[in-house]
Amino acid sequence: MELTDQEITTSREETKKILPQYPGRRGDLIPILQKVQEKLGYVPAPAMEEVAAYLGITPMDVYSVVTFYNQFRLSPPGKRQINVCMGTACHMRGGNIILDSWKRRLKIDVGQVTPDREFSLERVACVGCCTMAPVTVIDGEVHPKVTPTRVDGLLFSFGMKIEKEGGKH
Amino acid sequence: MSKENQAVSAAYAGLQQKAALVRQSRHEKPLLLVGTATCGLAAGAAAVLKTIKEELARQKVEATVLEAGCMGHCYAEPLVIVYKPGFPPILYGYVTEGIASRLVIDFLAGDDPCLEFALGALEENEFLPALSDFPRFGVEQKIILENCGLIDPENIMDYIAHDGYAGLARALQLEPAAVVAEIKASGLRGRGGAGFPTGRKWETCLGTPADEKYVICNADEGDPGAFMDRTIMESNPHLVLEGLIIAARAVGADRGYVYVRAEYPLAVKRLALAVEQARQCGLLGENILGGGFGFEVEVFQGSGAFVCGEETALIASIEGEPGIPRHRPPFPAAAGLYGRPTVIDNVKTLSFIPSIINRGADWFKSTGTPGSPGTAVFALAGKLVNTGLTEVPMGTTLNQVVYDVGSGIPKGKKFKAVQIGGPSGGCLPESALDMPIDFDSLSGAGAMMGSGGMVVLDEDDCMVEIARFFLDFTQKESCGKCTMCRLGTRQMLDILEDITRGRGRPEDIDLLLSLAEDIKAGSLCGLGKTAPNPVLSTIRYFRDEYEAHINEKRCPSLMCQELIAFYILPEKCERSCDACVGSCPVEAIYNNADRIKVIDQQKCVKCNSCVDACPPQYRAVIKLSPPELVAEREKENK
Amino acid sequence: MSGEVTLTIDGREITVREGEKLLWAALDNGIYIPHLCADRKEEKPDAACRLCFVEIEGRPQPVTACSEPVAAGMVVNTRSERVDRLAGTAFELLLSSHRLDCGKCAANRSCALQKIARERKFKLKVTRLRTLDRNLPVDDSSPVVTYDPNKCVLCGHCVRACRRQGGGVLGFAGRGFERRVTTFGGASLAAAGCSGCGACAAACPVGALTAKNVRLPNAGAKR
Repeated sequence: MELTDQEITTSREETKKILPQYPGRRGDLIPILQKVQEKLGYVPAPAMEEVAAYLGITPMDVYSVVTFYNQFRLSPPGKRQINVCMGTACHMRGGNIILDSWKRRLKIDVGQVTPDREFSLERVACVGCCTMAPVTVIDGEVHPKVTPTRVDGLLFSFGMKIEKEGGKH
Repeated sequence: MSKENQAVSAAYAGLQQKAALVRQSRHEKPLLLVGTATCGLAAGAAAVLKTIKEELARQKVEATVLEAGCMGHCYAEPLVIVYKPGFPPILYGYVTEGIASRLVIDFLAGDDPCLEFALGALEENEFLPALSDFPRFGVEQKIILENCGLIDPENIMDYIAHDGYAGLARALQLEPAAVVAEIKASGLRGRGGAGFPTGRKWETCLGTPADEKYVICNADEGDPGAFMDRTIMESNPHLVLEGLIIAARAVGADRGYVYVRAEYPLAVKRLALAVEQARQCGLLGENILGGGFGFEVEVFQGSGAFVCGEETALIASIEGEPGIPRHRPPFPAAAGLYGRPTVIDNVKTLSFIPSIINRGADWFKSTGTPGSPGTAVFALAGKLVNTGLTEVPMGTTLNQVVYDVGSGIPKGKKFKAVQIGGPSGGCLPESALDMPIDFDSLSGAGAMMGSGGMVVLDEDDCMVEIARFFLDFTQKESCGKCTMCRLGTRQMLDILEDITRGRGRPEDIDLLLSLAEDIKAGSLCGLGKTAPNPVLSTIRYFRDEYEAHINEKRCPSLMCQELIAFYILPEKCERSCDACVGSCPVEAIYNNADRIKVIDQQKCVKCNSCVDACPPQYRAVIKLSPPELVAEREKENK
Repeated sequence: MSGEVTLTIDGREITVREGEKLLWAALDNGIYIPHLCADRKEEKPDAACRLCFVEIEGRPQPVTACSEPVAAGMVVNTRSERVDRLAGTAFELLLSSHRLDCGKCAANRSCALQKIARERKFKLKVTRLRTLDRNLPVDDSSPVVTYDPNKCVLCGHCVRACRRQGGGVLGFAGRGFERRVTTFGGASLAAAGCSGCGACAAACPVGALTAKNVRLPNAGAKR
């Protein structure tokens, strides 16, 4: 993904503001990256370079960590982040059907963002709400006992127009 | 008594006095506790809380409203407990905003306790049945969960009023070796999964000389289907913290971490608050309670990697590296974080510590089995009437947990299996229901205690699919370092995918067994060594299901999407009803010439919506496997 | 800790430096144990490839020789049914995700996988398992080396070699089946600041990183 000049400048500046809050040990790497993502919504390459320089490690070291952990995103998320739980209880109660419903309606795959950058879709391992399965977490709010109809209802409440277009699948 | 010990006693007595005052003032007015752990919030507890506050203001009723954690009755969330002078404390379940207003108007402003919404009273009384009259009460025994849901997790005084930090006060007055000896004598085994004796770990750490030592609470609860640790941290964070401080005192650590998943934001928030409050009360920092011992704790957020539950991977993660396990030995208790001796214990293990120190090793050993003393906490999920959290003595049978605590399988379905121990565990069949559960019996049966997730499966759940689900999980969560796990679990997953899609080969079952054995023996860390368990246990107990998929291309439980088709029985379809048509998200259902509904198999995405939508008096939509049966039926009907 | 210890490997008495790992003790005395990821220069073993299993008398399970320090009186067997089976499975797993193209491969005849197959009489072919070709693009951007990630067995020799050269250009990214050797941001070698020293190609045992037909400053370092 190509960043605009504006995005490069912003990510460098925001990262530089965050760095002095930490003493600069290698052990600070993950808390720093979490803070950067909290601020920017993702961890762009210029931010990784700033962090590497601050901690005295190579950018590749930072990239290894960022690509290892599920939490970190390399590209900006959508305005609304939809996380579909795929834990055991959710799976056995049709979690994959719910994930399919989101994919079908948003017309994106897991890990992608809609072209208008409104929605991003992710799967999460388990949010520990197994008694409410299947659940979808949208912007941190847990929605319990989701059905394909409820997916439509939620999208409608977000102001998205749903065209029923059977036959394409 | 030494000077330090006197100081500790005096400082703790001061805290208790303060706590008693807080508690007393709280019960002068009616008190409402709303369960706002994640399960409660998901069920709508935030709206209930808001309604209660608004209605109290409207009715001009004086009452205290507090947010509590989870009592374990997650099936009935949102839960509200009302303490009103003159009445026993009453627990209400399935509370909606409407019921919340009625509780305020009828019960608090009036005097009608709205018993139609009550689940039970918290103590014996003359009005209504108490929770202790429930069949599950005879099975449960709460040590860790005792105060969960009954105290305010965001107020340290509430914890202290329930004897909180008394264990720490006692531990500070003992020699470190005496604390370790007590834990060793209790026979406590680590509740993170493998069941290693906690006292032995502490002893190694205490006996290894070093300039710095660490203690870490492993709260990276990543098993899908497990939520015990989350609930404990959200409902009683000080209990975990007290256990950690005692551990630090015992081994001589001056720094500690609570390693929590970032996916548990509420637990992170409540733990951070607990640390702050403990510091203000002199229970953390330099010279704790004046006893001369100093200790600091940091809450570290895990970044979403299941493998970080493995202790060497967790250490790598705190050190700022990818969470890749390291070869053991050396074990962390001898050389762990930054090469220093490090004790790493699970949330539940640490939660037992305060009461063991308080009540002694013999008291702890009086519960459970000789090899596995104490209680086990299980998260009950899946096809169960009463899902939620429970704590039972080790040695309780699965039968008691599933039927007495969980109230059995809903919708009259038949029990098939219970999945215990998540991705490292296995599926146990009906014949194992009478088995007493402890660390050793479970591993003998091909499962594993794991951290305590229990998912109940019924006749609609396919055992090959559940094995595939877990392998898909471990495969995604494998760190990728060692060959056996990175490629071995991938090979197993590919085979299982072929089987669930009807492309399995007869020799695949033997290949799975052979790979499983090698991956167990040859993997570097515990994740790889246990990854084959779900496959081994399902082949052991449900081989016939594998064979049906491979030989007949049929899913007996009608679950595997590529081996089933949806079909509407013409003789049962009520022509004038359009429920299924409206429910279909892809417009795959149409009317034939007789207005009977028919599914266009090309368009159908097998989402199950029409089965749910078809009114129960018709039950016209069925599933068929293999899918070719649909064409046969359609031909017959022509 | 500068003493020496005597142990027995495959019936032969061997005296080596105290603290030495079993794998090096055996190899230095002409006893072969299959291995890919082990690196003598590293203090802590990766123990990642899972090939170097041996039996130690008194131990219930085979152990990896790269991670096991020698001990006086230790009795070791490099061959047993269990050991050969574990190494065989690890080997076939590695082959299942290594694009087999020996005829055209620059590492033909010097490849570590070929050596293991020859020594242990393993087939150089995936028979029981599914082939897991990742179909990743080949990086031909550098003037000195070609990188074909489809042949990589993740032993890590190139990553360590690059680091020792002061480069730090190569590293591991991703996890699980997606774990791969790559550069910062996944850039091509030419764009990633590679100095072209060629140490990575010299270190690669399987032909994933190979030298182009040019003289390398570091050639000859091949293990």
